[in-house]
Parts: sequence; structure tokens; C-alpha cells
Amino acid sequence: MADDSMRRRKGWTRRRFLQTTGAATAAVAAGSVLGAPGGGMAAAMMPKPRAGARIRLLQWNSFVPQADAEIRRQAKEFGDANNCTVEIETVSGDQLQPRTVAAVAAGNGPDIIQMQYSWPHLYTASTVVVTNEVNYLLGALGKVHPVNEAFTKVRGAWRAIPYCHVPNAWHYRTDYFQKAGVSSFPKTWDELIVVGEKVVKATGKPIAQTIGHAYGDSLTMWNPVLWGFGGQEVDKDGHTVRINSPETDAALQWAIRAAKAGIKWYPEWLDPDNNQAYHADRISATLNGASIYIREVVEFHKFDKVTGVAAMPSGPKGNFAMNLVLNHAVMRWSRDVDTAKAFVLSLMDKTNYSKWLAASRGYNAGAFEAQNNDPVWKTDPKLTVFRDVVTFRGKPVGNWPGWPAAPSKWTTQSQTQFVIADMFAKAVANGDSKAAMADAEAKLKAIYGRP
Amino acid sequence: MNTATQAAQTPRVALRRPRIPFLDREAPLGYLLLAPALLLLVGFLAYPFFIGLWLSVTNAAAGEIWQYVGLANYRFEFLNDRVFLASIWNTFVYTAVTTVFKLALGLFMAVLLNQAFPFQRFVRAALLLPFIIPTVLSTLAWRWMFDPTFSVVNWVITHTGLAVRGVNWFGTPHAAMASMIIVNVWRGAPFYGISFLAGLQVIPVELYEAAKVDGATRRHQFVHITLPMLRPVLLVVLLLSTILTFADFQLPYVLTNGAPYSSSHVLATWAYAQAIQGGSLGVGAAISLVLFPVLSIVTAGVLIALRHD
Amino acid sequence: MALLSGLRQLSPAQPGPASPTARGGTAPVSSGVNGVGVIRGRRERPRGHDIGDTAIGRWVRIYIPVWTLVLVTLFPFYWMFITSFKSPSELLDFSRSPLFVIHPTLDHYRHLLTQTHFGRWSLNTTIVAVVSTGISLVCSILAGYSLARFRYRGANAIGWGIFVTYLVPPTLLFLPLAVVIKELHLFNNLWSLILTYPTFLIPFSTWLLIGYFKSIPRELEESALVDGATRLQTMVRIVIPLAIPGILSAGMFAFTLSWNEFLYSLIFMNDTVAKTISVGVTSELIRGDEFFWGELMAASLLGSLPVALLYSFFVDRFVAGLTAGAVKG
Repeated sequence: MADDSMRRRKGWTRRRFLQTTGAATAAVAAGSVLGAPGGGMAAAMMPKPRAGARIRLLQWNSFVPQADAEIRRQAKEFGDANNCTVEIETVSGDQLQPRTVAAVAAGNGPDIIQMQYSWPHLYTASTVVVTNEVNYLLGALGKVHPVNEAFTKVRGAWRAIPYCHVPNAWHYRTDYFQKAGVSSFPKTWDELIVVGEKVVKATGKPIAQTIGHAYGDSLTMWNPVLWGFGGQEVDKDGHTVRINSPETDAALQWAIRAAKAGIKWYPEWLDPDNNQAYHADRISATLNGASIYIREVVEFHKFDKVTGVAAMPSGPKGNFAMNLVLNHAVMRWSRDVDTAKAFVLSLMDKTNYSKWLAASRGYNAGAFEAQNNDPVWKTDPKLTVFRDVVTFRGKPVGNWPGWPAAPSKWTTQSQTQFVIADMFAKAVANGDSKAAMADAEAKLKAIYGRP
Repeated sequence: MNTATQAAQTPRVALRRPRIPFLDREAPLGYLLLAPALLLLVGFLAYPFFIGLWLSVTNAAAGEIWQYVGLANYRFEFLNDRVFLASIWNTFVYTAVTTVFKLALGLFMAVLLNQAFPFQRFVRAALLLPFIIPTVLSTLAWRWMFDPTFSVVNWVITHTGLAVRGVNWFGTPHAAMASMIIVNVWRGAPFYGISFLAGLQVIPVELYEAAKVDGATRRHQFVHITLPMLRPVLLVVLLLSTILTFADFQLPYVLTNGAPYSSSHVLATWAYAQAIQGGSLGVGAAISLVLFPVLSIVTAGVLIALRHD
Repeated sequence: MALLSGLRQLSPAQPGPASPTARGGTAPVSSGVNGVGVIRGRRERPRGHDIGDTAIGRWVRIYIPVWTLVLVTLFPFYWMFITSFKSPSELLDFSRSPLFVIHPTLDHYRHLLTQTHFGRWSLNTTIVAVVSTGISLVCSILAGYSLARFRYRGANAIGWGIFVTYLVPPTLLFLPLAVVIKELHLFNNLWSLILTYPTFLIPFSTWLLIGYFKSIPRELEESALVDGATRLQTMVRIVIPLAIPGILSAGMFAFTLSWNEFLYSLIFMNDTVAKTISVGVTSELIRGDEFFWGELMAASLLGSLPVALLYSFFVDRFVAGLTAGAVKG
């Protein structure tokens, strides 16, 4: 709290200073980097990068190397234009969290950290409030996706700047499906079972997905299945565990039936495994980010023509999806908070962001309304599905782990412990859905019951 | 003794220098020599350790203020956390089974390598390789070898007729534990082997010859000569290896990380999951430290036993 | 030095005259202090021992088991080797035998050496390993000598305490250590590793060297002391030279552990060029949900073979050093 008032006071001082030293010049300079200034924030209040500053951004290694290369290029451009240095550090997805925790514990580290899922709720005290910046973006780019908002807004204050989604969609082999007499990807989960059985009978190649501890593919699969049948892990109040219910049981029964019908759920698969299996022609369909499709198109050229892309099937209670969501937090120990903020805003600039989306070839999708119509989605008709699992016809799609409760420390713990995925895995392993539910309930009660 | 005295007298002139009485007294010199090691250990080990101890009795979470909660974390873990209890069991099984195999294989290796054969040096160096290669990288290679879709191990097993179908290495709790054990034994047995080999080579051959004259069988010789003479080496290696395996993080983390459905977590990986991924530093610290008292007593016991040899 | 050669005659527990003493007679084992075997290399034809010198006997008892062992131990390395030459499409193609490469490619090595900072990472890892091993050895020698030779209050407790530190897991320590490193402003500095690695290198080295020092007869130092040398001088000039095999083996063990370390390096070394091999390789070659197996395996090989070659020169000393340290531990 003290932080916020301090920042506002600083803003005032800066504004006065700029007004006396030529606000116009400053505004133009800021504006050219930041795109069209929308309503909501005077240009003079924009964070101004400090000459001579050195800041560092920590993010994961994007699957598409060109996307990272583009970010680095933008960092250099920003640095040259503002007489400062921006370093981009990439680590593997697994390594991002221990680095973040160590930085938080030490009170020192990168100036900007890429936050996955609900991390802003875990590390709230270490982040800087960025309400002004987000308001500016809302004005410039339109509404933000509710999942980004849920992850980045903590107790009414924005603690991270929304960045992007990594959309997941179903990749399937149109040739195998045709051989089985199926012309399009199933629209409901029950249909998936029917199709799955047909395809494996006709071709021997099953539909497959991870049911293990893949922090991408497992969450994006099993949460929507749970929600699709009406199940939820916790109540909207965020404390009452609701996993033990007939709806959850229905979802578990579905998974068990699917396994019996020939769909393969692999408890040991991590995120790369379904990619590899698909490229090796072992499976006929799987849920994944665009990396499978992109790699076929760019590198392998074996199945790119026969790969179809489809959105998530619906359950009896509706259509649900979940994607990996990334946001940028500026950390409180940064000695150049304004430079950091300015850099993040420059990444969100219309032109820059669009270039980055183009370099990502559909692997990433925008978090703001204006980014939904980016030209990248027109480069390949199959890519629009990836956009559609984020925003379908203007309406945002997708939820977050722990929905309908708001993201919190406890939903994060449940997510990182893969309680939901484990529940499905156990049910499929021995056919006993009641026991799996009871087990998950015990685990969740332990998590949500902690103060 | 004459030789020694004579030999010692030769460089006498070179050694004669004014004494530094203080530094010649045992106690001050003793402490002084200990100082560098102790400084490093206190600064970079003991101090963080006590912070860790403190963490385990607080409700610490990253970036928040820590409040003392007594033994609440420990109580919570034992009463409410099923994965924790399973991980204790897993850690014991993992340590016990790998140790037994490493011991047996190590002894076998040592006895074998103690004989003469061509390319001996190459073989000895080759057998050290699993120990040298960074654990992260070798474990990744093993993951690829056990890969659910592409396991070359399964390919070899099925194509050489050893089994009808491949093993689902990470797909069932038992297979996952087996895979961890296999990789750990692969990595660790060479260390046992080379250590025991060293131990074997000091055993006087006359003992064996005398035993043979008395009519002892090979097995008898092994049990009554080799093993007792190896005992000191055995105890050292066993102690170190047991402790390191108990706390092993890299191998289980890279290989299975709890798969399937959190059933193959060991204490180190579960503590990591709680502290780093889940954000509960206090709980993670408690999990890490839970066996510290037990292990300390066991270690002390073994060390005392060693001293009485 | 006459002193040393004179010392070689002394050997309270010498198993016999300077003739092969080891079972199986692998090579003449010249007796050092206390019967510690220092294998010098083969000078005479090895004797089979108790096997029956028939060819079949040797095959069954020696050759087949040995080579099976080598096969099983080295198979993963063979796998890494061929994987590093397989193109991605061949990697995922199981229609043929996975045990061979059909169209080998040098792309992975090229990518590793030119597009990543593998050279720098190797350099960093080597620097850290060498310096931290050096520091640990110095500390262990001093501490080991102190604990082996001197009697003073708390010596036993400290000795035990040093070893017990292994019970403290790095997965617990790395967070508080991050705070310490920050206070010392050592993030991104190789010194953060050089100073923290000894925490797990010193205990075992000290313990090993204590055993080794104890096996050196006190009479040697005592006679030197009588002749007017200071304790420090006896330590430096008499004991340490005799303990070289033990020091070497402690050094090799320390070097290996240091080479292998991952977690501290991940947390403290952030700049891409500053990373060590394990961290750099896994950071760069695991992207999103794709593992670049070819490069990963190439890196594994390049990151371990040089060290293995180095060790092959020292493996005999390593073996010898472990013995004496252990026997008298």
C-alpha cells in the first residue's frame, strides 16, 4: 500500500518536471514507442525509461525460436532508442519458477519476470502495482481477456501486465479420420469416444493425451473435461471443496469409458511426449499448443497437409477450455521500475506485438481485444482455430485452474500438485471413480483448509 | 627406526628455523587449521541450514512475512498429506533397494576387475563414466531410453525375445520406481565397484594362499577373508551413498517427478514441489528436514561403530 | 628426496616384499606406506588366480562377465552417441532399428558449438570445478590434518559434525543461500559457486584425508619435530607429500561432484554466457514442449568425455587413495 502512494507521488513530481521542461517533446517520444495513446492516461504520465538503465527480463524459452529472436530484436531497438540496455534471459519452462522463488526470497533478481498462470497471486508482495499501465493498455487495445485479468488482478490492484495466451487445440490426422469414416472432429466428449473407437479400429492409431504431470497439456485437458460435465474442485467462495459430486463422477466415468474404447491416457507423458508421438505417426489425435502443427509445417513436412486443427469438444454442461496464460510482472526490487514498465508497454505496442505474433506463427495469441484480428491469423486458415480457443467470435473463451473460485494461493497449490489430473489418472487406472474422488477430496481439503 | 632417524637427520640443516611456540601448541594450531573449512561451512552451510530450520517452523511463503507456527507444518504433513507419507516410504524403498543392488554389483565388479585381462585400464575408466557425466544429462538420456513411445530399451527387450511387450516404464507406480532404481544403480554401482576394488587390492594374497592350503573353498575365502577385510571401505562407501541417495533430488526429478499420479515422489522432490511450485516454503522445509534426526542418529551410530574397529 | 625413499622402506603393516600382493596379481603393487597399493602398471604377465587357467575358464569367469558389465554400463553412452548424429526425423522414426544411424548428421554438434554458448559453459564449469576443488582440498587438508593429529576439545564433535552436514539437502538450502549470495553481491558471479560448492565437497574430502593422515606413522613427524622442525613444516614437508594419492582421489571426487552440480548453478548464474554446462544445456535446448534430443545428447557427450579421458590417467591413483583413507578411517 505504501508502495502505491509512493509511486503516485513520484508520478506527480515527474509530471511537474516534464511540464516545465517540455512535455510536448516527452509526449511525442513516449508516444512513438508506445503506439497510439488511448484515452485513460495522459502521455506525460507514461513511464519514461531512464538513460543508462540496465534491466533484465526473465521468460521461458519460446517453442518457436524466432519469437524469442524477435523479442531480443525489440529489446535492442528499445535500448537504442532510449539509451539503455535491456537483457532478455530465457530458461526452460521448468526452471522459471525456482528462479522466481529464489529472486523473491533474495529480494533481488530480474526486473521483469514472466508469470505463468496465477503466479502473481503467489508473489504479490514482490510485484509492483501496474494499474496505470494496464489502464493505458485497456484504453489503447480494448478489453482484456478475463483469464489474464483473473491472474493478474489481486485484491483490486493489477500486479502484472497481461501478455498473451498459448492456445491449445486438437490436432488430428485427417487421413486416418477419413479412413475411419469420420469427416470432422467430434463436437462433444461423448462423440469423441465414438470417434476414438472407430479410428483405432480402422487404423490402429489411437487418440492420445497425457493424464500425468504435464504443466501444459494436462491442465488444458482435464480441467475442461471436469467443467464440461459440471464438476468443480472448489466453490466460488474459494474455500469449500466441491469435488465429490455426481458431476465429477460423470466426468471420471467418461474418462474410464474412453480408455476402454481405445483412447489412450498416458499418466507418464509430459508435455513433449504427445508432440513426439504425433510426429512419429504413433497417434491419430492429441491436444496441444500449435507447436505440433508448426513443426510439421516448418521442419518435418510429413503430416502438415493431413493435420487438422479443431476446438475443444463440449460436455453436457457446456464448452470449456483452458490455455497457458503468460503475463509480465515488474518486480519491486528493480532499480529502474519506470524503464521496465516502459519496456513492457513497448512490447505491447501494436506494431511490435504484431511482429512478435507473426514470428510465433500462431503459437501465441493476444490477451487484448485489438489483438484478435491480427494478420497472423489470416496467414493460415488452420491457425484461426488457435485464435478461436482464446476468443471465439469476439467472446473470450477459457477459464483458469480452480474456476469458479478466483485464483489464489490455494488454487495454485492444487494446480501445481496436479490434484485433478491425478484424480482422473487414478480413476482410469483401476476403474474406481469413487475412490479417486474421495482421494482428491482429501487432498483438496488439506490444501484449501490451510490458513 | 635407524633408517628413519638417519634419513631425518639429512635435511636437518634445512629444517632448522626459529620456532613459533604458539603455533606449535596443539590446540591453537588445531583450531587454526580448522578455521578455513569451518568458515566456509558455517557461512554457506550452517547459517542457511538454521534458516531452513526456522523456515520449517513458520508458515513461510515466498515473499511474505514468516510467522512462527511451531510444529504445525510437521503435524499437517503427517496427518493430512498422503503424498508425503507415500514419499517417505518411497524414499526408504529407493534407498534400500538401490543400496543392496549397488553393494552386490559393486562387489561383483570389484572381484571381477581384480583379475587380469586385456584392456583393464580402459575398462576401469569406462566404468567410471556413469559417475562422471552430469546427472541431469545422463538422466535425460535415460528418460529418452525409457520414453513411453520410443523406448529403445523396450525395443531391445522385445526384439531379442526377452519379453513379449515392452514395459510401461513410467506408467505404473512399480515400474516408475523400478526405472528410478535402475538409473540410480547404473550411476552409482561403478563408484562402489572402484572403491571395493581398491579395498581388495590391499588384501595380502598370502591370506588367501594360507586359506587354500587349509582347504577353504572360494566362497569360504570370500566370506571369511574378503568381506571382513573390506569392512572399513564398505562402511565408508555405504554411509556416504546412503545419505546421498536419501537426499537425492536430481535423478527422481528429471526421470519421473512423481509420475504416475504423484506415486513416485521421494522426499526431496515432494519438498521441492511444495516449496517451489506450490509456494509453501515452510512446508517444503519441514518435509526436507523430517528425516534429519533419524539420519543423524543412524550416521552417528555407524561412525561410532567404525571408530571401534 | 632421501627422506622419502627412506620412508618407503618403512611399512608397519607391509604385506610382504615388493612383489605382487594383490589377489589375482593384476600388476606389481609397490608398497607405499602401510601397504597401500599404488598400482604402477603391468610389468609382468598377469597371473590368473584360482580360476583354472583354461581358456574356457577365463572366458566364463572373466571375459564374459566383464564385457557384459561394460556393455550394460556403456550402452547409454552408445545411445547418446548415435542419437547425437540422428536427424530429428530419424530420431522419431522407429520403422527401422533405433540402434543404428542411417543418415548421420553433424548438425547437432554444429548447432551446439556455434549457436549456443557451449564453449563458454564448458569453460565456466571447468573454472568452477578446478577452483572449488582447489579450495576444498586446501581446507580439507588443513582440517583433516588437524582432526587426525591433534587432540583438543571438541575435535570429535567437529569431525562428526562435518560429516553430518551431508544430511542437509541442497533443495532446502538454496533459498536461504540465495539471500546470502545477494548480500554478498555475487549473483552471476562464478564466485557464488566457488564459495558454495565446498560446502558439499569439504566434508567427504576431510573425512577421507583424516583416514589417510592417520595411516601415516607418527614417528616420521615426531623425529622431524625432535630435529627442530615446526609442526607446520612437518605437515607441509613430510605428511602432505606422502598423502598425495589420498589428496588426488579426494580431488577427483570433489571435481566430479562439482562438475555435476545443478541447482545452485541454476539459481546463482543467470546470464546466458555465465551458466555452467548442465544449466546452460537444459535452459537452451529444452524449449516449450520440445526437447532437442540430438543437441542434448551431443552436449552430454561433449560434457563428460574430456573429463573421463582426464580421469583415465588418474584412475589408478584414485583407486589407491580411496583404500588407505578408508582402511584407516
